[in-house]
Amino acid sequence: MDSKLYLAENVLNERRPVTYRLLSRALKVHANRAKQILYEFHRNENAKKPQTVHATYVISGIQKAPEPAPTNGHADDEDEMMQSSPYLPSSMPNQDATSDSIRTASIVLAREEDLEALPDLNVLVDANREISSTHGQEDPLECGKQWGMIQNRNVKRRTGARPPPPAAPAVKAPGAKASKPLTESTVPAKRPLQKEASPAKAEATKSDEPKSEPSSTANSQTSSKPSGKAAPAKPKGNLFSSFAKAKPKTKASAPAEPAAPSAEDVVLDDASEEEAEELFPDSTDKVAAATRENRKEREDKLKKMMDDDDDDDEADDEEMPDADEEPREPTPVEQPPPSKPAELKEEVTVQGGRRRGKRQVMKKKTVKDEEGYLVTREEATWESFSEDEPVPKEEALGQCSQGQGWQSRGTG
Amino acid sequence: MAPDAEDYTFLCPPSKEEQEQEPVYRTPSNYNPRHTFHLPAGAGRHYQQQYDDMYFLRLAKLKPTVEQVATDAWDGLTIAGEKVRRVDRVLDVRQGELCWVAGTVYMHLPMKPNILEDLSKENFTSAPPPLRTYTDPSDPSLTQIMLEDESGRLRLTGNFLQSTQLATGAIIAALGTENANGDFEVIDIKLPDLAPQLQRWNGNAPETGLEKEHGKIAFVSGLGITGTSNDTLALELLTDYLLGYTGFSGHGDNSPSLGSSKISRLVIAGNSLGASVIGDVASANSDEAAAKKAQPKKYGYDASAYNAAPITQLDNFLAEILPSIPVTLMPGEKDPANFSLPQQGIHRTMFPQARAYSAPPVRGDEKPEAGWFDSVTNPWDGDIEGWRLWGCSGQNVDDVLRYISIEGGNSTPDKEKDSDARMRIMEAMLRWRCGVPTAPDTIWSYPYQSDDPYVIESCPHIFFVGNQPQFKTATIESDVPLRLDGDAEMTGTADGSDAARVRLLALPKFSETGELILVDTETLEVEVVKFGVFKGQEEQK
Repeated sequence: MDSKLYLAENVLNERRPVTYRLLSRALKVHANRAKQILYEFHRNENAKKPQTVHATYVISGIQKAPEPAPTNGHADDEDEMMQSSPYLPSSMPNQDATSDSIRTASIVLAREEDLEALPDLNVLVDANREISSTHGQEDPLECGKQWGMIQNRNVKRRTGARPPPPAAPAVKAPGAKASKPLTESTVPAKRPLQKEASPAKAEATKSDEPKSEPSSTANSQTSSKPSGKAAPAKPKGNLFSSFAKAKPKTKASAPAEPAAPSAEDVVLDDASEEEAEELFPDSTDKVAAATRENRKEREDKLKKMMDDDDDDDEADDEEMPDADEEPREPTPVEQPPPSKPAELKEEVTVQGGRRRGKRQVMKKKTVKDEEGYLVTREEATWESFSEDEPVPKEEALGQCSQGQGWQSRGTG
Repeated sequence: MAPDAEDYTFLCPPSKEEQEQEPVYRTPSNYNPRHTFHLPAGAGRHYQQQYDDMYFLRLAKLKPTVEQVATDAWDGLTIAGEKVRRVDRVLDVRQGELCWVAGTVYMHLPMKPNILEDLSKENFTSAPPPLRTYTDPSDPSLTQIMLEDESGRLRLTGNFLQSTQLATGAIIAALGTENANGDFEVIDIKLPDLAPQLQRWNGNAPETGLEKEHGKIAFVSGLGITGTSNDTLALELLTDYLLGYTGFSGHGDNSPSLGSSKISRLVIAGNSLGASVIGDVASANSDEAAAKKAQPKKYGYDASAYNAAPITQLDNFLAEILPSIPVTLMPGEKDPANFSLPQQGIHRTMFPQARAYSAPPVRGDEKPEAGWFDSVTNPWDGDIEGWRLWGCSGQNVDDVLRYISIEGGNSTPDKEKDSDARMRIMEAMLRWRCGVPTAPDTIWSYPYQSDDPYVIESCPHIFFVGNQPQFKTATIESDVPLRLDGDAEMTGTADGSDAARVRLLALPKFSETGELILVDTETLEVEVVKFGVFKGQEEQK
């Protein structure tokens, strides 16, 4: 039971908002209990030193009919004013008018006072986003009862295809549990990357044994890289990449890793970073909270730091001459090996409003070899074309152009 | 708020020992979606047909009904010594002869989009421009109302038309005479009126103890998720409320209206995504157009042109509530679905997380199974807790409203008047027995050839329309002979009257009002739960 530590760490030190739901997820307690913990914390801290902790309440109740505006600014009992929705009978004939007034319940967020400290309640959104980013992998069907979620006996979820982790995933690394540091539970949500990074480091340096369950996405990405990677490094790369997937900033805390950053790491790093940023691209602009800005700055700094690290490491790494280029490529898969015969190239130039160019086509070529057999081969040859002719069929070409590599056609 | 001391568990420190909280279980949902608006996939969908098939089918379906209503009302009627005569086709109307005839209303309005005009002006648009009205308030005489059938058209005129509202596509019977100008002077109009209504549970209720349990169906529309944090707060309050975290979920008597565990299903009626994102992206593109040209052209998928944040956030929202509550999701005007009605359900691949709760893909000719997360069509009809629902994301009402001249022209309309008009339109649709009368005239529609699914053949119990400016509800009843002993209070199935009763719901935009609408499954009574941020002193300024 380290709720006090958690709250002290997050609220007092980090100056971040903590909602009961975040607390409930972090401590794995019921939502109602989390509310009580928050209440106690708020009371104790403000008793020690007033105005250190600010509360925001969720107020609910049935709205009274509109009355003169509330006379005081206190949020305690006054609900938000709103117009009721009285029934207005339609003027159509045969209307059966049941003039029941609609009961309107309201659920509003109210600040403890007119807050200077929390000018924008939208910071609470960030707190809730953290829930999905750090606790998103917990199965709501299993944990929901613990959190106090209304249970549904009839819920149908398709088995088989497990839903992918939420967009800012925190994939638990296999084997990370074994070497969890003691501080883990006391430094929860804020820096999960560090928390996960440290066991990762320990694990990686301790043993080079290949893990039996490398994440499949990491696998496919690594294997699609054209540059051959030495086999023994692969399991390590996978291990790292699963951490890198968990949070891109892992690297920031691991500059001293021995020969760790491989090309796979870098690529995955970029990908996961992109993901994390794409999720809420505008949020930083729109949220005016200063605390958030600070965090963003810090993150940027960390990012820069680790980018530098990467560059240094890659420069040192002589086995990977193309490592500098590769991370810039968004999809390394699209780079075909030049030797592949099936790839047909096309060059298009525009001259005087006409599109013309040359393209590579497959042509069948039949020759008689030394022993008198007819040998048919498919060869890639270049031919020029202009826009007013359709893409020729391979068969037709095979017949008409025997061994003619270049074929020019006037466009008229 | 004065709770009992022993019950009061909120503003107090946590007890030392962690007591086991008893889980709250949600009321189960009985759900049977219909696939009235489900279009055949791929090659089965054809766009070569002419739209006149739809008008023909609609008239063929509804003409017998409206003629029956008119015969009941006008048969044997004598006005000023002249006996009313029935005429089969509009072309058979003789000048000066008192008669009645049934047909389809066609309205000619000055501002109505005209495909031929667009073509002649070479004005090709991807979507019709948003208009507030098709009428010209400065010159009402430009509005012409006509009655047509397969034989021809008859222009309607007369003071009676001022007091009634009509829209293209409605089937009516009109009583009057043709005047010297060749116009039909209307003195009365009959509508098909409400379609026959099935009883709840179609007469055979499940024998479980469901009847005793007052469940609720939740409706929301216009979530308007833009992916920014500005619109997220109310959405998160909604999430917390639906999941029961806010703490008002108990079955107890303390807050019966807030018991979110009673909510057996959430219906999302369109426009879950906000439009501003598209606008932002578009404007950003034009700003950066010059800069982009300088860059080397990239082929294929351009991640910068697509903002995935709104749909990701919608997916997150759905994935969060789905473990606890089943969801029916209808697409709307601004959602990533086809534009023309019926909009087909938003594809499951848009929801990488929530789709785990959807039904498995249909193979072959199997009857599709209702998913826990059901991405349905717009319009949509189906049975929830035994009640028949018919709903649309709002295009139908928005469009009919453009046919009706509202005083004040294009200036901002009076909110009350506007939503009254919308309520009347919803009622009129049910009495026309046509949920989307102006399709295919001014609402883009799939060219149905063998059936007009917009005809409401079985009157729903709940008729809802999403994305309206204001919440509004009413109950309407069919035009049956008065029963002297009828008590107006009963809305259930218990009284064996034939009178169809329909609960009309005009759902507000959640992004603007923060309102969730709850309908009681026993009484069809309506409640509103409003989410928002208390504005404190700002509000009083």
